[in-house]
Amino acid sequence: MTDASTSWKPYEPGPAAPWNLRRVVHLRRRAGFAGTWSELQRDLSDGPQEAIDRFLAGHAHTSGVPEDFEAVSRVLGDAAVSSSNPQRLKAWWVYRMVFSPDPLAERLALMWHNHFATSNVKVNSVASMREQNETFRQSAKAPFNETLARVVKGPAMLVWLDADKNRAGHANENLARELMELFTLSIGHYSERDVQEVARALTGWRVVGDAFRFDPAAHDDGEKTILGRAGRFAGGDVLALLAAEPATAKRLAWRIGRTLLSERAADAAALDALADGLRDHELDVGWAIETVLRSERFFSDGNMGSRVVAPAEHVVGTARALEYFSPPPSTLLLAEWMARMGQELFYPPNVGGWNEGRTWLTSAALVSQANFAAALVDGRLAQDAAPPDLAALVSRHVGDANLSRAVEWFGELFFGGLSKEARQAVEQAATSAPGARGPLETAALLLLSRPEACVA
Amino acid sequence: MLSRREMLKESVLLSLAPVVPTFLARTALAAGQKSDGRVLVVIQLDGGNDGLNTVIPYRDENYARLRPKLAIKPDNVIKMGDEIGLHPAMKAAGSLFDDGRFAVVQGVGYPNPDRSHFRSMAIWQSARLDNAEHGQYGWLGRALDQSRAGDGGPDAVFVGSGAVPVTLWGRRSTVASMQSADELSLAASADALRAASAVGVDGELAQLARRSADEAFTTAQRLATFVQPGDRSRDGAYSDSALAQQLRLISAMIKSGTPASVLYTAQSGYDTHAAQANEHYQLLRVFAGALAAFLDDLAASGLSDRVLVLAFSEFGRRAAENDSAGTDHGAASPVFVAGPKLAAGIFGPTPNLADLQDGDVRMAIDFRQVYAAVLERWLNVPSEPILGGHFAPLELLKPTTA
Repeated sequence: MTDASTSWKPYEPGPAAPWNLRRVVHLRRRAGFAGTWSELQRDLSDGPQEAIDRFLAGHAHTSGVPEDFEAVSRVLGDAAVSSSNPQRLKAWWVYRMVFSPDPLAERLALMWHNHFATSNVKVNSVASMREQNETFRQSAKAPFNETLARVVKGPAMLVWLDADKNRAGHANENLARELMELFTLSIGHYSERDVQEVARALTGWRVVGDAFRFDPAAHDDGEKTILGRAGRFAGGDVLALLAAEPATAKRLAWRIGRTLLSERAADAAALDALADGLRDHELDVGWAIETVLRSERFFSDGNMGSRVVAPAEHVVGTARALEYFSPPPSTLLLAEWMARMGQELFYPPNVGGWNEGRTWLTSAALVSQANFAAALVDGRLAQDAAPPDLAALVSRHVGDANLSRAVEWFGELFFGGLSKEARQAVEQAATSAPGARGPLETAALLLLSRPEACVA
Repeated sequence: MLSRREMLKESVLLSLAPVVPTFLARTALAAGQKSDGRVLVVIQLDGGNDGLNTVIPYRDENYARLRPKLAIKPDNVIKMGDEIGLHPAMKAAGSLFDDGRFAVVQGVGYPNPDRSHFRSMAIWQSARLDNAEHGQYGWLGRALDQSRAGDGGPDAVFVGSGAVPVTLWGRRSTVASMQSADELSLAASADALRAASAVGVDGELAQLARRSADEAFTTAQRLATFVQPGDRSRDGAYSDSALAQQLRLISAMIKSGTPASVLYTAQSGYDTHAAQANEHYQLLRVFAGALAAFLDDLAASGLSDRVLVLAFSEFGRRAAENDSAGTDHGAASPVFVAGPKLAAGIFGPTPNLADLQDGDVRMAIDFRQVYAAVLERWLNVPSEPILGGHFAPLELLKPTTA
């Protein structure tokens, strides 16, 4: 059965799936970057409709959002471009993740960054990478054919996949192949001949002065046969043709599933139903995102605590949950920590992107995750070297608290709650650990290195 | 409710843990270590190496014809006999060839070649042609399932960036992974971290994360005893290139007596679609130089007899260069083996450039014949269950009495 109404029934709180802190934290971590205590409490009291509405409307972040957020972001982005410094470009994006009112847009930008994985290693242009990244954000929920055209015809992608070198009579297949294998159809839905013919259709796409330009003189105007259809196709025709293929809707449903669902919750029938729905809605990604976020499936037990958290999600979510806003941590350093955990923004490992899921759990990433927590509590993430005041945070939200109560509260803040057994283990290890750190700082470090921090 | 099929799928996925708790390396003092244990080192050349410009049929007039811009002039080729020679950037490999420590296997591929990086790499890593079997187990993961180091593993180590390659994924065998020793330098107490996560872990994926972290923290503790963080001094002739430093770390682990019998690394950048001459030169120079530094380093420690190196790429490139002075995805290409136990320096026939298949070099040797040789003659495990069929092992290695 591939019927959206059964696979994607809306979530209604009930005895089996109550709206509780666990589900609030699940929504916040899966669709955004965790939550501050006040954001969690408000979602909890307002109920799922309003909590999800806030995500979809682009103002789920209320804590720490500066009034002049967009203006500051623009200045940072411009400065990154004028300095041609990719580190500053990474810091700019991290700034957006931490401080934007709209966490979903940034999470979807991350999704597109992985779908259309483009690395500055080859593009070597901060301006082009920023432009592509802005496209990811602006097109975050757009109909897919629009996103596809904007990204594929963007200078970053054209340089990344050698479009400029693909000319009439001198085909270069790089863009044609990845366009079909990764961006639309996926493997098995086209032939080698299709690759060659699509490459011909894409001839004439050039990059001139960091911008797309169609060069008729370089374009092969002859007849091509693509996916069994013959015509004098040009690049735009190919994009439209590929976007209309059922395999593209499936690929898109798979991508959205990887982002918002666990492997268990993203079963084949549900993804097929989502793909069918996407086709009925002209590949409206916004429709699919809303359908998933409002679904019973999204809030089911099988979808909670069962997706490995990506490094960017962990690093930004940790800073936000701890209200590390003023003075803020260095976004340059946050970007470095993401890279150590395996996710260097703007530098995905190849055109296939990061493999995600359990492949994030490398030894190096897990050691880095613990070291990140250590750097955080030691104050090595901030320019002024002042660590976040954990004691003040606890006292602000729970009043006078001993270590045991503080550990319990951190467990609720980070994970929506931890078992007594787990809390006792953390408390005991925190009080007996060697070194100069205080027990509260050590407890936070140990909690942020718990398995629950790796999965959400 | 989960169906039985879903449950099975889930548990299969979870059993594919890339890392589980074990020791990275026992020190030489540890009990039960096989100091004479053989080690396989794999270098994955990512992106599709241009085999024709690596092992060059310099006398073939078709070569010059197919490569008007990119052909290497016969005078510049490092000769390996009358027909073929190495790219001039591979001088270091040429010297290894001269003393019998470097060999090429020509025309290696698989039936019905696919020009997708991802599918082709999946085939090489899994040793399975069927897509349905990709992303599950790797050929070396399966081999290590049969010959586990036992407690105190890991069975394999991946030194490189990103995820553990599927090649090393097994049912029970374990893998540790890192890019450099620095990455595993822990700024908190490993004992406290392990103790704080030891109990109350709910859900299979969280359990996997706990085991992976345990392995990582323990590995970090052990690694600190034999590699100094931040130490990038040039032991022997290791350059600063990523590959050389990764091989240096692998060498340090072998010297320290790691129980791992497979050590795996990668060199990226071989996807040379455009203006490749200089890029390819640099890649091959780094590859050959790092390989020679590694083998010389181990030889100086008296350990090189224990080591066999295998280097492969997911495919070669089209025989004809493209119009961007680069080359597009192709099919068969050479595999390299190195170490002191080689039976010869050249295996497989020189590619016939007058008889191409869709513009590609034809496969002369199935890659599984190379794997069969490594499995049967080096790792001493039966190759059939691992490769899913019988493939006659190439006689890569000298017969041994061991």
